[in-house]
Amino acid sequence: MSDAAQVVLAPPPRAGVAGRRLTRVLEIVVALAVVVGLWQVTSITINNSTLLPSPARVFHAWLDLLHADLRQDVLASLAHLGIGYALGIATGLALAAISTRFALLESIVDPLIELLRPISAIAWIPIAILMFGISAGVPVFLIFYASLFPIFVNTVAGVKQVDAKLVHAAQMLGASRRMILTHVVMPAALPYVLAGARLSLGVAWMAMVAAELTGSDAGLGWRLFWYQEFFAMDKVMAVILTIGVLGYCFDTLLRALQARITRWSPDSVVDEAR
Amino acid sequence: MTGKIDAQSLSKTYVSARSGERVEALQNVSFSVAPHEFVSIVGPSGCGKSTLLALVAGFVAPTSGRVLADGAPITGPDPRRGVMFQDYALFPWRTVLGNVEFGPLARGATREAMRATAHRYIELVGLEGFEHRYPHELSGGMRQRCALARLLANEPEVWLMDEPLAAVDLQTRNILQDELLRLWGDGGDPGQRRAVLFVTHGIDEAVYLSDRVIVLGRRPGRIKETVTIDLPRPRKALRNSAEAGRYNEYIWNLIRDEAARAIVEESA
Ligand SMILES: Nc1ncnc2c1ncn2[C@@H]1O[C@H](COP(=O)(O)OP(=O)(O)O)[C@@H](O)[C@H]1O
Ligand SMILES: [Mg+2]
Repeated sequence: MSDAAQVVLAPPPRAGVAGRRLTRVLEIVVALAVVVGLWQVTSITINNSTLLPSPARVFHAWLDLLHADLRQDVLASLAHLGIGYALGIATGLALAAISTRFALLESIVDPLIELLRPISAIAWIPIAILMFGISAGVPVFLIFYASLFPIFVNTVAGVKQVDAKLVHAAQMLGASRRMILTHVVMPAALPYVLAGARLSLGVAWMAMVAAELTGSDAGLGWRLFWYQEFFAMDKVMAVILTIGVLGYCFDTLLRALQARITRWSPDSVVDEAR
Repeated sequence: MTGKIDAQSLSKTYVSARSGERVEALQNVSFSVAPHEFVSIVGPSGCGKSTLLALVAGFVAPTSGRVLADGAPITGPDPRRGVMFQDYALFPWRTVLGNVEFGPLARGATREAMRATAHRYIELVGLEGFEHRYPHELSGGMRQRCALARLLANEPEVWLMDEPLAAVDLQTRNILQDELLRLWGDGGDPGQRRAVLFVTHGIDEAVYLSDRVIVLGRRPGRIKETVTIDLPRPRKALRNSAEAGRYNEYIWNLIRDEAARAIVEESA
């Protein structure tokens, strides 16, 4: 056997939390380097900066954008996202609350949701444009629509999986119905709700870009469309990268929040260890 | 004739919602527990022990018959009857302190009173120093102590315990048995003791702890015999005594055949 094979077979070194963080960062850096390298090679081969600008050009375009409109675009997108997402989460939670509370309402709400859920948010863009015109209304509506389903489905699942034994435990300790709701059902469902909120944010972010691209007069997606009209491919790419990085940051933030809030769960420990 | 708990002709049949299949878990079970008495229920697995406890706790309603507490029919769970569950059922999002405080909180204690009560019982079960651990950070024996402290913190008149020591190792179990007896008042004034209904599949455990042992048979679950354990208290010196051994053997002979059949059926 060669030495190389033995290296591969050896168990991974035991690293502390700091060590694991460092490994993770290194992994990301290496992945980025590979992508940028391939991109560089491809752009040299194609040698057409309108079709595929080099990484360096895109980086410069991004620096230019930072001093120009990018901040405004980000703020506009965040406003769309903030309003649409808040409405979607609030509505999803409210629908989940009433349909887990009242069996009759569940039999109405549930089929409706199941019917609408497979329809991609993007399919509603024409109708949204007719309703709101080319305005902030379109992305806000689409974000609202997209984020509604994951949070609803997850919250309902979270409430339904609550261990009957824990409810019994609370009852025998003298808890009222209200206290069972606030001190047992809600905390027990919380990990599911948080996972739903994260999924919702992911689809909301995608719906946002799509809606702004065609139905809005501001935001990152709209800016993408704008630069495309000018064949400014380096700037298009710079905006795309901004969208990717911001989306990644949001997810990381929410995941950290999730791990922190559900510190009590054995699963969250595993999650953090990854 | 009213005891602390009176079960009268209890039957329970579960009907599966999906297949409509019927399982007769208990058939015509009657017994009572006196105010200061420690009563155990033994029987092979699946004979309806947990069902019986759930009926007395008020979590489920009997198919026929009834259960009285202090002479009044049980209509639902009541903090005067504390329960220790087979797998503890601790609230995983609450620390040891939070779990023990839950009962006082539910019953409207002030913050200070709640905290003081919780600390007293945490100390009593030997969990001081672990107040801020979550259940998943505790060993099996510590979880068991936490569940016991949670039960005691509500100062219930009846303790209903479903195989509380089944999941801990042998040494820990012996220690916890002695602690349970101490907390119950094994060596003290009988008038201070609570009524206990203790489910176990350990015959020696039942004999060691109890004033009476109810032996259940299975399919359907019904009482085979009630054995009065006529051994003096405190029991500590009697753990491996010949007298206890004779009770063990007697009860084992009652359920040996069914226990063997339960093993065969469960592995089938
Ligand atoms: N909720 C339930 N629905 C249907 N059958 C049940 C239910 N709970 C218990 N049973 C059945 O009733 C019988 C007695 O169960 P249980 O009371 O848990 O016994 P034990 O605690 O002695 O092991 C078993 O055959 C079990 O499968
Ligand atoms: Mg059981």
